[in-house]
Amino acid sequence: MDLMTMMRASAAALMLAGLATTPAAAQKPFADVGKQAPITILVASTPWYPAFEKVVGLYEQQTGNQIKLDTTPFGGMLEKARNAVRSGKSPYDLMFLDTQWTIEFYEGGFLAPLKEIDASFDLPKEVLSYGDSGWWNAQKRWRTPDGGKLMAYTVLGNVQLLYYRADILKQAGIAPPKTWADVLTACTKLTDPPKMYGFVARGEKGNGIRYDWHSVMLAEGGSVVKDPAAGDYTVTINSPQVKAALDLYTDLLKKCGPPNYGTLGQGDVIQLLSTGKAAMGDVVTAAFASFEDPAKSAVVGKLETVALPAGRGGASGAVVGNWNAVVPKDVPDSQKKAALAFTRWFLSYDAQRAFAQAGGIPNRSDVYTSDLAKESKLRWMPAYLETQKFARQELGYAEGAQVEQILGLRLNQAVIGEMSSGKALNTAAKEIQDLFVKNGRKTGALPPLPE
Amino acid sequence: MQDALTTLLLSALANRTFRYWSLLPAVLLFVALTLYPLVNLVRMSVSTIEFAQGVEIWRFTPRANFAQLLADDALRPALVNTLVFVVVSVTIEMLIGLALAIAVAGLARGKTWARTAMILPILVPPVAIGSMWKLMYNYDFGIFNQALVALGAAPVNWLGSTSLALASVIVVDIWHWVPFVFLILFAAVEGLPVDLIEAARVDGATRWQIVWRIMIPLLRPAIVVAFLFRTILAFKVFDEVFLLTSGGPGTATELINLHLYKVFFEQNQLGYGALLSLAVIAAIVAFLLVAQRVTVAVRAS
Repeated sequence: MDLMTMMRASAAALMLAGLATTPAAAQKPFADVGKQAPITILVASTPWYPAFEKVVGLYEQQTGNQIKLDTTPFGGMLEKARNAVRSGKSPYDLMFLDTQWTIEFYEGGFLAPLKEIDASFDLPKEVLSYGDSGWWNAQKRWRTPDGGKLMAYTVLGNVQLLYYRADILKQAGIAPPKTWADVLTACTKLTDPPKMYGFVARGEKGNGIRYDWHSVMLAEGGSVVKDPAAGDYTVTINSPQVKAALDLYTDLLKKCGPPNYGTLGQGDVIQLLSTGKAAMGDVVTAAFASFEDPAKSAVVGKLETVALPAGRGGASGAVVGNWNAVVPKDVPDSQKKAALAFTRWFLSYDAQRAFAQAGGIPNRSDVYTSDLAKESKLRWMPAYLETQKFARQELGYAEGAQVEQILGLRLNQAVIGEMSSGKALNTAAKEIQDLFVKNGRKTGALPPLPE
Repeated sequence: MQDALTTLLLSALANRTFRYWSLLPAVLLFVALTLYPLVNLVRMSVSTIEFAQGVEIWRFTPRANFAQLLADDALRPALVNTLVFVVVSVTIEMLIGLALAIAVAGLARGKTWARTAMILPILVPPVAIGSMWKLMYNYDFGIFNQALVALGAAPVNWLGSTSLALASVIVVDIWHWVPFVFLILFAAVEGLPVDLIEAARVDGATRWQIVWRIMIPLLRPAIVVAFLFRTILAFKVFDEVFLLTSGGPGTATELINLHLYKVFFEQNQLGYGALLSLAVIAAIVAFLLVAQRVTVAVRAS
């Protein structure tokens, strides 16, 4: 037994000892999956990885089955996964894919539908749907259980939450914001640069700004395309609602963020919040654990969360950014079965509970309604569960990555003032429409916005 | 006599045949490692490559790929930025590298220490350089702005300002690659004939005259080599810029290789990405040819 295995086993034993004392553990045992072949999992080096590693240790300790984790930085994940499935003999039995990448793998026919591995396999009804990103209808080229096959399940479902400094807001007599307009009013009041920034979110070109801004756009009633689920790819990104969302987001970043708001990435936003230099921020749920770690944070116990605010019409919007677990189709049957056995175990109530206790984000609704939600270090749970009511998958089509590139650049140019918001959105609309035309989609466009 | 001549001729023929055959492994290796990928790249550049049922599907689409190249809006700023980056960074690196090489070679004591200290930045991996400079450039926590604030000045938006970001990236490249130029030119300076320099000194030449009239003309072959290497490497810059700015804000630091990366890996457009790669190779060759013509013209004048 090497050092890592010993450490994992010890961690698992400690966790088991802890779990044994909870009433839930006594009532609902972990799934019994029997003896299985060793498997290898491709997993990203993310803030939630330590929690996943602990749960894997627990699985190994309980079942005696072995799992090798190939931990890879985010930047290298997609290429490793592509190389694995294109080689014809994947070295991974289970791979974690960012939801945005899954379309390429579904369409490419690289994955084994989970029910083809074991016809009796079903997701437990308590597992959250996360916009059905694990389902794929090849005919419709759309992620839906309606006529689709179950290709993946969510290992970790990240959504953005509004983090706020309870102490600062209380002192200023400001209630936690309910609308984006409230956020703007509050953050303008709280901003005192360079000591304090009222609100921080990602403004950096690419996925960062597209993802964070997308929630504001949904709340304002905007959309990128009209109805992709029904095959209508009319581009709606240059609507007045979308422009209003972009102007609002620009105001938030410009009036309340640091001067380099146009280059802020996730690490920067987390750094500003954890050092106490920001009063509010739009950040992923997975970052919560690091804010509560005294070794990394100067604001332990001071940050609270609410679901992302609503738009002017009262609707809320949030984008799901989940990690999906998939099984490559070219691995041997025994490996596929072993991967599915781990899946059954991992999706069980107690495994998800252990995942939450270790700092992960569980994917079962019953964990969120359990006694765990009352624990101080998991006080983000109600906001997370609330967000699930309106969070959705976006850009779920084959052109999604290219649309994200287009939006990531044009939005960034608008917020830094390189283009007016109208011109940026008209340009993006034209580029997205050209892309759909090239790919033979049924598409159209709105009249251009004044520039 | 005739037999001897025949034997000699046969032996020569055998030798020549053997000579050619002995080249075969190297030729095969060259074809496998260089020619095949290049031919494949050309093949890819006129195709659209997709995957279905786990199988690669190639479609011959040269016109569509070229049309995309001409209509690619992101390409123009990337090309302009890359040219600015290459010209400015390589020029400054050559000047500083040459000055340092001559200065360090002239040291009477501590030459070894100075040389070692000079080449340290080139030993640092580009990923570490990107992360380190990103921290130093950080608006709120970076050492540069901390120093400016301590001196009573306003902090500077090093990477977030569209007018300053490319310059900030060029500074990092200069810091990283001056040692490379220094190393090549320092070795060349050390190899210069001492008697020639001594003779010039005896004839009353000033230090500046020795450098300008004797050392630099003698160093020309080494300068050309350093310039060629640096230019090619500058065109290929990726990791530092990717980590520092990812091409932003806006298109301020978008370089051709960043764009290529996005097309190839993030958008998964293998065919168009290959065409873009060939365009980059053509651009580098064209730049080097122009640079060569300019050098010849300058020398002739």
